[in-house]
Amino acid sequence: MSDAAAGSVAGSVVTRSPLARSLDLLQQYGVLVAFVGLFAFNAIWQGDAFLKPENLRNLLNQNAAVGIVAVGMTLVIVAGGIDLSVGAVMALAAAVGMLAMNGLAGMVDAEGAGQFVPLLAGFASAIGVGLACGALNGGLVTLGRIPAFIATLAGLIGFRSITLALAEGGEIRADQAITAVQAIGRDGLAIPGVVNAYDKPVVFYWTILLFLVVVVLGQLTLSRTRLGRHLVAVGSNELAARYSGVPVARVKLWSYTIVGFCAALGGIASTVRMNSVSSSQLGLYAELDAIAAVVIGGTSMTGGRGRVWGTLLGVLILVMITNMLSLWQVEVYWQGFVKGVIIVLAVLIQRGRAS
Amino acid sequence: MQTASAGLAAILRLVLEIDAIGKSFPAVRALDGVSLRVAAGEVHGVIGENGAGKSTLMKILAGIERPDEGRLVLDGRPYAPRSAREATDAGVAMIHQELNLAPALSVAENIVLGREPRRWGFVRRGPMRAEARRRLAEVGAEVDADAIVGDLPVAGQQLVEIAKALSQESKVLILDEPTAVLSERETRKLFDLVRRLKEAGTAILYISHLLPEVRGLCDRISVLRDGRLVAETTPAESDTDRLASLMVGRELADVYPPRGSRPNAAPRLRVESISVPGHVEGASFEIAPGEILGLAGLVGSGRTELAEAVAGLRPSRGGGILLDGAAVRFRSPRQALDRGVAYVSEDRKGRGVFTELACIENLTLPNLAAYGRVVPDRRRERSATAEWIRTLDIRCPAPAAPMRTLSGGNQQKFAVASRLDVKPTVLLLDEPTRGVDVGAKRELYHLISTLAADGLACLVISSELPELIGLCHRIAVMRQGRLVGEVDPAAESPDETERSIMRLAAGVSEHAA
Repeated sequence: MSDAAAGSVAGSVVTRSPLARSLDLLQQYGVLVAFVGLFAFNAIWQGDAFLKPENLRNLLNQNAAVGIVAVGMTLVIVAGGIDLSVGAVMALAAAVGMLAMNGLAGMVDAEGAGQFVPLLAGFASAIGVGLACGALNGGLVTLGRIPAFIATLAGLIGFRSITLALAEGGEIRADQAITAVQAIGRDGLAIPGVVNAYDKPVVFYWTILLFLVVVVLGQLTLSRTRLGRHLVAVGSNELAARYSGVPVARVKLWSYTIVGFCAALGGIASTVRMNSVSSSQLGLYAELDAIAAVVIGGTSMTGGRGRVWGTLLGVLILVMITNMLSLWQVEVYWQGFVKGVIIVLAVLIQRGRAS
Repeated sequence: MQTASAGLAAILRLVLEIDAIGKSFPAVRALDGVSLRVAAGEVHGVIGENGAGKSTLMKILAGIERPDEGRLVLDGRPYAPRSAREATDAGVAMIHQELNLAPALSVAENIVLGREPRRWGFVRRGPMRAEARRRLAEVGAEVDADAIVGDLPVAGQQLVEIAKALSQESKVLILDEPTAVLSERETRKLFDLVRRLKEAGTAILYISHLLPEVRGLCDRISVLRDGRLVAETTPAESDTDRLASLMVGRELADVYPPRGSRPNAAPRLRVESISVPGHVEGASFEIAPGEILGLAGLVGSGRTELAEAVAGLRPSRGGGILLDGAAVRFRSPRQALDRGVAYVSEDRKGRGVFTELACIENLTLPNLAAYGRVVPDRRRERSATAEWIRTLDIRCPAPAAPMRTLSGGNQQKFAVASRLDVKPTVLLLDEPTRGVDVGAKRELYHLISTLAADGLACLVISSELPELIGLCHRIAVMRQGRLVGEVDPAAESPDETERSIMRLAAGVSEHAA
């Protein structure tokens, strides 16, 4: 009798029923299951239309900018913060970059040579703006002790307003002399053997590659570096982190600076795809899409636990769902509703793990 | 004649009966069959060391905690409050040690909170203010009813809290260390008030560490120790020394390692007259390599703040901190750790360990740069963790298991090990055995003793006097932010030492005689 009781006590701790274990796995890798399931569903139901390299490429391309931002957002959220200003920072960085580039368009001669300097100046100034905005957010949160939600909400409103003022509410197009922007947007890596129906190679745009590189770097930062460990520690328990000698303020500042940098990259990716900067549309709601991808990917909104690869899958899941809805000719108004349901489901499924 | 018999009847009328109450927390038996009876018009003192179970008992009465066993009877009816609100409604009011006011609201709003005079759903501000002023006058508080509570000094807030309890016209009033923040004049006013309430027939439970105060005010005194009621006495029967003995009264088991002789090397750490505004006033002490210095004092006496100031966790003023003779002042815990001064917090779950992170991540965090400035070397982290698990005999399922799966004692060992990994020369331990079972306590004592024998300068802060007496070479005592004396545990018997510490900590020598 007592043996049986002892056995059941030990059993409940050490080994678990297969059902409980599979539930655990579902909670941990649910996002992977959802991704594979959605992909398989689309592949079977749409067949070649979905699996066509151009289609996959275009889906990725449309979402590379938000995806890059979502990687930065993952790091901020892991550290217990949030950045609502990323969409506005994308737009501001892109606008400043475009203005800088156009300002130097005079260096380009009739044959289009000499675009390198304006291009470099444009990219550099965009990245500078992203870093500066991120550092400003981080400074307000750490030195200013303003809650991240409020500080970056002010950024969302303020940075967008500066962008609108710079473009007088309209669009900034690349100077006619600068053809390289569009060229970069349409150039990329041709993967040998991947061809379209006319046997022409399908080029995977640089922006997609940039997105994937950012994902890999983000994941490595989070799981392999000291900074990553510090981000997790601060998000897990800020006080304990301070008591362990973690420079909490500096770590937070870094997280916002990194997401600002990612927003600038996202702005650039968006610019080369469109060859112009729309002051009112570029990056609009990017913060929400990015946060949604992070949450679906299994990163805890309270910080301390997160994964960049999950965010990548989160982006891809959102992409596929949007794609399916438009193929089903669901009115665009309903897309947001479906995304909302997905986000709630993702959180509900993953919550069991913490408790 | 008539009034005398009415008074007698009031004294005999039991208001509150506490019957064999038991309460357990994980690893701690907080209350074990405690029974108390409180009559109308009685002031009943409840004393005991930190952790004796006073707070738990009061929380049960106030509806914040629920008992596992036993029952409560209030005015002849069963009383089982499920929330603070139910307790208040039943007529039990508690004035908390940690103030329980809404700091953004006005004094008047706080006093009538939850019972605002209303008409058609709107608060009637006139009657609300009148009620507040009446109650403040009863307390003798010179506080503006329209002032914002958060702007008042702590003593003022305490008086508002008392006025609030009065306004609830309670049958039972629980006062938990009410004078800790009051000036002498305010304390006298409070005592007058308590006596008036007593005349009016309120049953009062009065909790305090200050024994002379308890003797002066209370009709009867119950002594709790280790969750049990060990004595019920009266001021006439027991002087403060006897009360202190009753509170302490424990045998020191041989759980402590043999005390090495006190090293007479030059001090490793020397603290000269440093102050932490609001907490510590001109504290000086020194610790030699190999020495274990105990720091005793009541909760709130500034022990933690003093240690945190040394470890760079709080800004300090005046004086200086000398490490091996060189002046240092750490502006961050990082600087302190880099210079070999490590602090392990009393708040294990909140500040000591990361419950959700893996053991290995917990262990290497304070010293992470040593494993790689940019990319920590996982292999070395793993081997270091395995090494510490072996050295400290830590029981954990796996180095990658989350910290929360470990017992309190093993979590504490990890908290200590993570600081030891920095290779400190000074180790400040704040309540290192709090919430830890007896076996693990013993292991921690031996660990601390071994560390000291290896040349570490150790400071041990504790509310458990036996462990300080069993472990330390010297014990410094703090009271109200000042270091008020030092006790040599080798010079007297453990009981004598404990009483000396209690006297210093509670300020008996000042108040008594």
